[in-house]
Amino acid sequence: MFSTWPRPTHPARAALLATAWLALGACAGEGRPAAGEAQADSVSVVDDGGRTVTLPRPARRVIALMPSATETLLALGVREGLVGRTDFDTGMGIDSLPSVGGGLDPSLETIVSLRPDLVVSWETSGPAPLGDRLRAMGIPVFAVKTEDTTDVFRTVASLGRLTGRGAAADSLARALRGELEAVRRSVAGQPRPSVFYMAWYDPPTTAGRGTFIAQLIDLAGGRSLFPEASALWPNVSLEEMVRRQPDFIVIPDAENGAARVRELRTTPGWRELRALREGRAVLLPAEVVNRPGPRIGEAARRLRDALHPAAAAP
Amino acid sequence: MKPALRLLLLALAAALALLVGVRVGAVPLSVGEVLDGVRGTGDAATVAIVRRLRLPRAVLAALVGGGLAASGATFQALLRNPLAEPYIMGVSGGAAVGAVLAIVLTGSLASGGIVALCAFAGALAAVLLVFRIASSVGRALDTRILLLAGVVVGAFFNACILLALTFADADAFRSAMFWIMGSLSGATWRSIGVLAAVFVPAILLLFALARSLDLLAVGEETAAALGTRVERTKLLAYGVASLLTAASVAVSGVIGFVGLVVPHVVRMLWGGGHRFLLPASVLLGAAFLVLADTLARTVAAPTELPVGVVTAFVGVPFFVYLLRRRQA
Repeated sequence: MFSTWPRPTHPARAALLATAWLALGACAGEGRPAAGEAQADSVSVVDDGGRTVTLPRPARRVIALMPSATETLLALGVREGLVGRTDFDTGMGIDSLPSVGGGLDPSLETIVSLRPDLVVSWETSGPAPLGDRLRAMGIPVFAVKTEDTTDVFRTVASLGRLTGRGAAADSLARALRGELEAVRRSVAGQPRPSVFYMAWYDPPTTAGRGTFIAQLIDLAGGRSLFPEASALWPNVSLEEMVRRQPDFIVIPDAENGAARVRELRTTPGWRELRALREGRAVLLPAEVVNRPGPRIGEAARRLRDALHPAAAAP
Repeated sequence: MKPALRLLLLALAAALALLVGVRVGAVPLSVGEVLDGVRGTGDAATVAIVRRLRLPRAVLAALVGGGLAASGATFQALLRNPLAEPYIMGVSGGAAVGAVLAIVLTGSLASGGIVALCAFAGALAAVLLVFRIASSVGRALDTRILLLAGVVVGAFFNACILLALTFADADAFRSAMFWIMGSLSGATWRSIGVLAAVFVPAILLLFALARSLDLLAVGEETAAALGTRVERTKLLAYGVASLLTAASVAVSGVIGFVGLVVPHVVRMLWGGGHRFLLPASVLLGAAFLVLADTLARTVAAPTELPVGVVTAFVGVPFFVYLLRRRQA
């Protein structure tokens, strides 16, 4: 849907597009109930790999293998229902749960020993030996692929249905939409500075237009320095960056970002960027801006506060 | 110690390694629970852990380790080069190209089976290509040319992988990297069956070639003078060892060090001809890889280390110790 998202040059047009997007988000937010639902308790939801996942009753022992999904479950009020976490689920207050290792290469036998009735995994475009093996052992796997904000709303709705928390999912989606809409409205009519989102610096990698990050930057009143890059995480040319001179550089690393900026200021190429020299590098915590989950409202707000300090809430 | 007794000892070591591999894992289970799991009488999660995860993984590790060690021993004799190992002839590069292409091009359609099949096809293509290049130079198959052909074909395939990865999306890139790193975590009874179908006849054929390999290791003229059909032996040994490597790589990715070092360890400890070296390498390779994989699963549990890290970290110090001991 967002592959043709144009650079909004006219405020009214931008508002129109954003409203259309929010409305579409609302449609997608219903989740996709599968046809032929059986008993009253059973839930059937189609996952992002197109598989119908049917549970005899809402899941009560859940393991999510991506931090964004774990955060979404916590935001839905599923705390007692979580039976495991990954090594990357930090800062969520669930450190006491047993870890299953990394999210992409967890220990299968640890997962099995926790007896989950639902595992939420990442839907990969390649082979998915992990999901296949869990399914073969009778453990339902719901694979999600959250790249853009539409995906976030769909995942909120799906996880809500799977855990029997449809009402919580609805109110979470409503609250998130409200947050995003408030951010969008606060920068209406403002000039749109160009933003380089530094997913990585060597090679320079940014967030492509299909990512939720690019959408949040747009919503927060910025525009991407590389709007034409169609890959999700494109490598971009440093030369071209110097030529285009971003107004802001967003670095998703609050801990080491300052040191990185100091280093880049003396690195050939990077030191030609006025945004770095003139202190327009924006350091944001990775766990806020890198997770397509319930904190996208906060991420949009933080981006807006950096790009349009005057519009920031007092 | 008689060779037969040594082999018996090594077989015991391999059996013991398999027991340890089933006994320990990321989840602490008591002996009773493991036994219940094996019998299928424990609770469902324990049965699944023991029967569907640990047992197949240990068995696959044994087959891959044994196969790579036998293949390495064969290549070392065939090429008369102590640096020879199963992947030296470009088999791993070909397999990786097949697997990476399957992952990058077919996306979500690629199941584990399709990737394994493409890896196997890629490995066979590499074997044929190397053989074609080597046999087009001179009249008889020159093993030095064979080695060079293998190395350059491997380098070419590595470049192909880098090219494919440059244009792969993040998911495909990750899948491909995991595949290249090598792992036994995909072990299923089906993959074991597929590998065993190659492993058993290949190992028997190599055992049958043992005496010819002894003579070949001395020199081709000597071997010919003593009645070995040199060309046929070289062709068979190269083909069978390559096929064995190809099947191993297809189910487990590239696992380094086993095929290089296990045959050397056997030679250093006991010396001996290929009638002893080959079966001893199979057993020691099996025991070694099962234990290495068990360590990889448990040292940092629940995080799993790449098994190639463990084979090198455990194997290198031991190998250095053996080298120094032999000097003394």
